[in-house]
Amino acid sequence: MNKPVDILQGTLDMLILKAVSLGPLHGYGILLRIQQISKEALQIPQGSLYPALYRLEHRGWICAEWGASENKRKAKYYSLTGAGRRQLKSERKEWKRLAIAITDVLTAKPEGV
Amino acid sequence: MLARVRSWWRALTRQSRLEEEMAAEMDSHMERYAADLAARGVEPGEARRRARVEFGSVPAAAEECREAVGLRWPDEFIRDLRYAARVLRKSPTFTGAAVATLALCIGANTALFSVVDAVLLRPLPYPQPERLFSVARHFQGKGSNAYQTNLWGAAWEGVRDHASYVDAAVFSDGSMGVNFAAGGRVEYVKQQRVSAGFFRVLGIAPLIGREFSADEDRQGGPAVAVLSYALWKRVFRADPSIVGQAVTLRGEPHTVAGVLPAHFQSSVPADLWTPLRPSREGEGGGSNYAVVARLRSGATWAQANTQLEALGAPLLREFGQDPSTEHLRLISFQRGMSEYVRQPLLILWAAVGLVLVIGCVNIAGLLLARAAGRTREMATRMALGSGRAALIRQMLAESVVLGLCGGAAGAVLGWLGVKALKALMPASLNVWQAVELDWRALAATACASIAAGILFGLYPALAASRLEIRAALGEAGRAVAGGRNPWPRRLLVASEVALGVVLLVGAGLLIRTFAHLQGLDPGFDAKNIITAQLSLQDARYATNQRVNQLFDKSLTRICELPGVDSAAVALSLPYERALNTGFKRLDGPHPDTESQITNMFYITPEFFRVLRMPLLRGRVFTAADSRTTAEVAVVSEAFVKMYMRGDDPVGRHLGDDGDRREIVGVVGDIQQKSGWGDGAPTAAMPDIYIPATQVDDKFIPLVHTFFSPNWIVRTAGSPEGIIAGMQRAIQAVDPQLPFAGFHNMEDVRYRSLAQERFQAVLLGALAGLALLLAAVGIYGLIANSVAERTRELGIRLALGATVSQAMRAVALPGVALALAGVMVSSVLAGFASQLLRHLIWGVRPGDPLTFAVVGIGLLGVAAAASFLPALRVTRLNPAETLRQE
Repeated sequence: MNKPVDILQGTLDMLILKAVSLGPLHGYGILLRIQQISKEALQIPQGSLYPALYRLEHRGWICAEWGASENKRKAKYYSLTGAGRRQLKSERKEWKRLAIAITDVLTAKPEGV
Repeated sequence: MLARVRSWWRALTRQSRLEEEMAAEMDSHMERYAADLAARGVEPGEARRRARVEFGSVPAAAEECREAVGLRWPDEFIRDLRYAARVLRKSPTFTGAAVATLALCIGANTALFSVVDAVLLRPLPYPQPERLFSVARHFQGKGSNAYQTNLWGAAWEGVRDHASYVDAAVFSDGSMGVNFAAGGRVEYVKQQRVSAGFFRVLGIAPLIGREFSADEDRQGGPAVAVLSYALWKRVFRADPSIVGQAVTLRGEPHTVAGVLPAHFQSSVPADLWTPLRPSREGEGGGSNYAVVARLRSGATWAQANTQLEALGAPLLREFGQDPSTEHLRLISFQRGMSEYVRQPLLILWAAVGLVLVIGCVNIAGLLLARAAGRTREMATRMALGSGRAALIRQMLAESVVLGLCGGAAGAVLGWLGVKALKALMPASLNVWQAVELDWRALAATACASIAAGILFGLYPALAASRLEIRAALGEAGRAVAGGRNPWPRRLLVASEVALGVVLLVGAGLLIRTFAHLQGLDPGFDAKNIITAQLSLQDARYATNQRVNQLFDKSLTRICELPGVDSAAVALSLPYERALNTGFKRLDGPHPDTESQITNMFYITPEFFRVLRMPLLRGRVFTAADSRTTAEVAVVSEAFVKMYMRGDDPVGRHLGDDGDRREIVGVVGDIQQKSGWGDGAPTAAMPDIYIPATQVDDKFIPLVHTFFSPNWIVRTAGSPEGIIAGMQRAIQAVDPQLPFAGFHNMEDVRYRSLAQERFQAVLLGALAGLALLLAAVGIYGLIANSVAERTRELGIRLALGATVSQAMRAVALPGVALALAGVMVSSVLAGFASQLLRHLIWGVRPGDPLTFAVVGIGLLGVAAAASFLPALRVTRLNPAETLRQE
């Protein structure tokens, strides 16, 4: 297993949106899911998870609801809203463009310049 | 956007719940993590520790969450305000100057706003006031765009019969004193005449009884009256059984139809109302009516107005007006009733707003100077990581605190101001609603304070936060010649001077107007004259004979009183508006086919002698001019100038509708309010005087509907002593005739110029304030530059410059700025003075004297304000200054 990488500034929001798009999750659940999907490659600083959640909720992209969790304890579950779905789509597009551009730069050969 | 506002609002209103949830959420996060770690075999205590460590600081995360939902800025705002208050307390001189400036400016605004609000803004005290309109005549032609709300009888009938989108009523927009007798007392009360449906249209139901019926509102209908609540309470002790009973009004019994509710206020102050009985003749033959209309439900203003304009054109043509430049139009009732004071009030409002702007500019200048002294503080804060936005916010908080303190003090001054304004205010402004400092005025004050705070704080805050940290921390304040850019502040001071000039010129013109009017030759000797009015709109005085008997008997008794020199009766007084009537010249070089307009008085023979008016040609009336002798008239000099053009008037004949009167004399002019022509507050008007004995019987009731004759008495000494004697004299002749109150001619004259005085005093005070502020601004600028340049000046003096050279060096920019401000604003003031052209008399808008006095005066003040602080240079000790290095 490789050493976990710190996530890029600004991508945390996108990852959270993606994580909750697969189904409602509580905060800790979101953390686990991102780690699980990325095969432990992405390390999310736990302290910045909640400000991000509150920010996304404030913007109306996710909504929260209190519900019973797997071990019968109450937990706050986050799920994606319509606006959040649109936001995720556009962020994914942006990310793809960025990734392609960076890949292009990194794979450029001397004669191409 | 909406989601954010909702989320922010939820967070703000349910903050405690949010905090609980946040804590619970983070706790459970750490517990779960600890449980997971424990499941992987970590010892539970260690697992909990690691969970906490890896999560990081909970308070920091919570704070970030709060910021994310917008909860931080109210906290920060309060912190900023606290800090601002602390900073301001530390510099009491600056804070005091700024708060005093603001208090004066905001106080003036608050006081004037109360007046503007009461007259122009606050909705009328009727249900659905936005659906109430005046039928107005709109004059639209070359350069004119004016509204008048007086209509004639035929126009009213047209509106009544054909304007189907409105429910309309007609009324007389004035109240006249009439004689009222009930329960053994006789009173002179104010009567307003209104048509049937007037109260229905306004939306006011009588408290008890009913309003007039259509049957009562026509010529010869039953005599009825509706009482005000106050009169009902005062005279009848609120006895409801009065409805249906008779009271004696205008000398004959009237049945009380109803009583209006206590809160009701008509367009003029009135004690009771009687039916108007509109017609096309007499009163209705001229423009003596006002029409109020309420939109019927479902109708729109556009529909009603289109219909009115269409039906107005033939009515106007029939009335001899030109429908291409004049239309009938629906304007809001409030506007219709306040049209004649609207423009002066708006001008005063603009002026008081200008003073606030000057005050703000002044404080902005002070703040700029202060910011110079705080460069290090700002730089330190920035170096420690404070953002520029935070600095700006902090400085704005200081100015908002200043604004609020100034506003609070201003509200107190405004309260005093309202009291002063009420004393000074012409009666014409005191219609509809009381002028008072209410929550509306206070809300306006609060808004003005905060807006002012931001207005004067924004630029200095932006300027101060634009800093080179290193330069500011290292070398600040060590430059030899000041070093800071002085121009922003100089521009502020120059613009203050410029705005001040505009106000001073306006005030100058209004003061000159007032002085001009006050200085006009009255045309008579006003000393030792006392006057009193009686209402002869009275059934017992409907004929010439009855009226003249009353005059004869009462004047004989009054002349017998000790101390009385002479006495007369006249239909109107000098300085007041007189009856307007039409006449034709019947002979001479310019006989008329169309009627001309003039003022007309009936008088008793002694009138000219009582007022000591000079006889210029021919003769005045004598007791021999009676009903049976030839009809005669005396005219005024202004009449001769306007209508006789070099022809000798004596012996010529005037007339209208078949009568024929010979001019027997010419007298000097007296000042009167002009009801026609240029509308001057007082002027020498063309007058025709006729003997009271020769007034037509038909004419008697009509003129007494509009005018109450005046008893004018000249006394040997102070006139106040004979008031009781006059009252006894009239009571002996007719115990049912109460005098309306006694006035000497100074009172009458004072009242006639009330509006001009109000305008001149108010604008004068505002301009004075502006001048003071400009002077303070210049003083502050120069004082500051002396302080900043101490070292430079010390070096100059050490190198051999004289004190006067050094003084000039610091003071001249002040004078130069004032000069620039004066020059720029002369153009501005030229435009502004055009706005005043309808309010000024005897002086032209571009009056060179006013401009010169204002310009030179302002430069003088500027020079004084510049050299005073420069005197500090004389106390400078070069050696000491240099030693401080």
